[in-house]
Amino acid sequence: MTGTATPASGPGAVRPDRVRRRTPVRRRVPVRTPHQAAQAGGGRLGGPLAALPWALPAFAFVGVLLLYPFLRSVYGSFFEDNGFTSRFTGLDNYARLADDPIFGRSLLNTLMWVAGTLLLPVLAGLLLAVATHRMRFGGVVQLIIVLPFAISSTATAVLWNFMLTSDGTVNQVLRGIGLDGWTQTWLLEWPQNTLSMIVASTWQATGLNVVLFAIGLRAIPRETVEAAALDGASGWRMFRHITLPQLRAVTVVVVGMAIVNSLKAFDMIWILTKGGPSRSSETLALSMYREAFRLFHVGYGSAIALVLTVIVVASSWMYLRRQMPDTGTGTGTGTGTVKG
Amino acid sequence: MGRLTRNVLVAGCVVLWLIPLYLLVVNALTPATEYAGKPGWTVQGFALGENLRTAWDVAGIGDSFQASLLYSVVCGLAAVLVAAMAAFAVVVLPIPRPAFWFWLIYSGTLFPLQIFLAPLFGLYADAGLYDTRIGLMLVYTAWAVPFAFFLIRNQMTTMPPELTEAALLDGASFRRIFWHVHVPLIRAGLGAAFIFQFTAVWNDLLLGITLSRSPDVQPVMAALTTLNNAYASTGPPVILAGALIVSAPTLVLFLVFRGLFLRGVTASAR
Repeated sequence: MTGTATPASGPGAVRPDRVRRRTPVRRRVPVRTPHQAAQAGGGRLGGPLAALPWALPAFAFVGVLLLYPFLRSVYGSFFEDNGFTSRFTGLDNYARLADDPIFGRSLLNTLMWVAGTLLLPVLAGLLLAVATHRMRFGGVVQLIIVLPFAISSTATAVLWNFMLTSDGTVNQVLRGIGLDGWTQTWLLEWPQNTLSMIVASTWQATGLNVVLFAIGLRAIPRETVEAAALDGASGWRMFRHITLPQLRAVTVVVVGMAIVNSLKAFDMIWILTKGGPSRSSETLALSMYREAFRLFHVGYGSAIALVLTVIVVASSWMYLRRQMPDTGTGTGTGTGTVKG
Repeated sequence: MGRLTRNVLVAGCVVLWLIPLYLLVVNALTPATEYAGKPGWTVQGFALGENLRTAWDVAGIGDSFQASLLYSVVCGLAAVLVAAMAAFAVVVLPIPRPAFWFWLIYSGTLFPLQIFLAPLFGLYADAGLYDTRIGLMLVYTAWAVPFAFFLIRNQMTTMPPELTEAALLDGASFRRIFWHVHVPLIRAGLGAAFIFQFTAVWNDLLLGITLSRSPDVQPVMAALTTLNNAYASTGPPVILAGALIVSAPTLVLFLVFRGLFLRGVTASAR
């Protein structure tokens, strides 16, 4: 990189008279790379500190209300804290996690949520996106599938509570078609309470995946598909060897988002079972809330929250890396234009 | 996939997806007093207005609805403004270490809410912000900033730097460049960020039940939870009417601004 960057892209949207006016001095104008700007045009831009007031409000909000509580939570997880008195206990909270059968069940439920979300909404989303791609009324079908996405998970849970209770719609239908033996107390026994909640969240979450996959499908160049068709590929072979590889980028995002959202799932479970009966359908997100705010084991709850956070950040790393290719390197902003 | 198989599969899915919505509407129509104790599949009457009124007045969805509307609109707008300023600083202005600032602000959206809750509760109890509207508005704004910042920053990096240069050469101040060059050009992106954050705040349950208690402070999803427990005995029509009420704003936003609505979540896939 030279001292001043010459913009790679053409003047595009700028009015012609302006372009003419600034062309002679163009090379002295600092372009976005901060350190260069501070040297070459520092006086003009008011030095590096001139930008800080613009970022400060955001930093104040995030720092005071998110980052400080985050650090405080990490710190608090080393204490035995019942909300009134607290005592430093080192790693005891984490040691307790290992022996706690409720935490074990909670971890298992969390894994079921992740696996179930990958299996149902992601696969169904892919299937429906491929099936409705270039189909007549495909757009209408996608709109219907994505409609529940506009409804909150709280409202979805209230609706599914109505369907899943013992005298709810699901059992009514099963009895109606003569499958009396299949009727269940869906929300009152493990594991079907977790499984039926995963189905309920599938109803809500699939639409978004359909939309994301549909965007990916539209981006596949027609020529590729035609070339493959000329070579005799069709049906499953076409899907497996042409469509799927081209959807890789979207799949990374969909899978990453599905994992993170399933780990964060709270509203649905809180309303349908409150994590019960006898804490059998709790996930980590629920266990943390119950320990910290119902049982007043604040330190222990913080330890669970930290475990959950580590899992969430680790599993979103894959798609985060993709999401911000130009900020991870440290050179920061504007590389898209300066690179050229 | 054979054409017939495909059509049957798609039609089946559409029916499966529509049944819960149909049941929601039909049972919210049933007069609460005539509810037969089991879900109805046909229209049993037309008492939607009555059920809505019960949910709104008696069950207290109304107060929360107004509170949530305030939170969503004010916090959505505040977050978009704050985030746009930060994005402007990180993308356009010569801030030192832009990557550091980016991650500092963006990290707020990575963590699950649970990691913030216990200290936030303590902080709010000490500062007298627990169970106040201003307290919820502060935390919602903070919560909405990181992702709005991410969306707006992405939008701003696509703008040619010549625009800033030209404005600078013409002697415009930062404030002028921000309001007269950048904001007008990324209006759609700002709109998408607002709609996304409006929906996020509107749909929040966890912060609401943790940091508030009284009906006129509680956000609408917390009120729906209360309604769901309180009316469990009298039957679903009022509860489902409540669910209809709380879903209406986001549903309308979605149907009117579908492109902008989905743009927030699909931004990462492009």
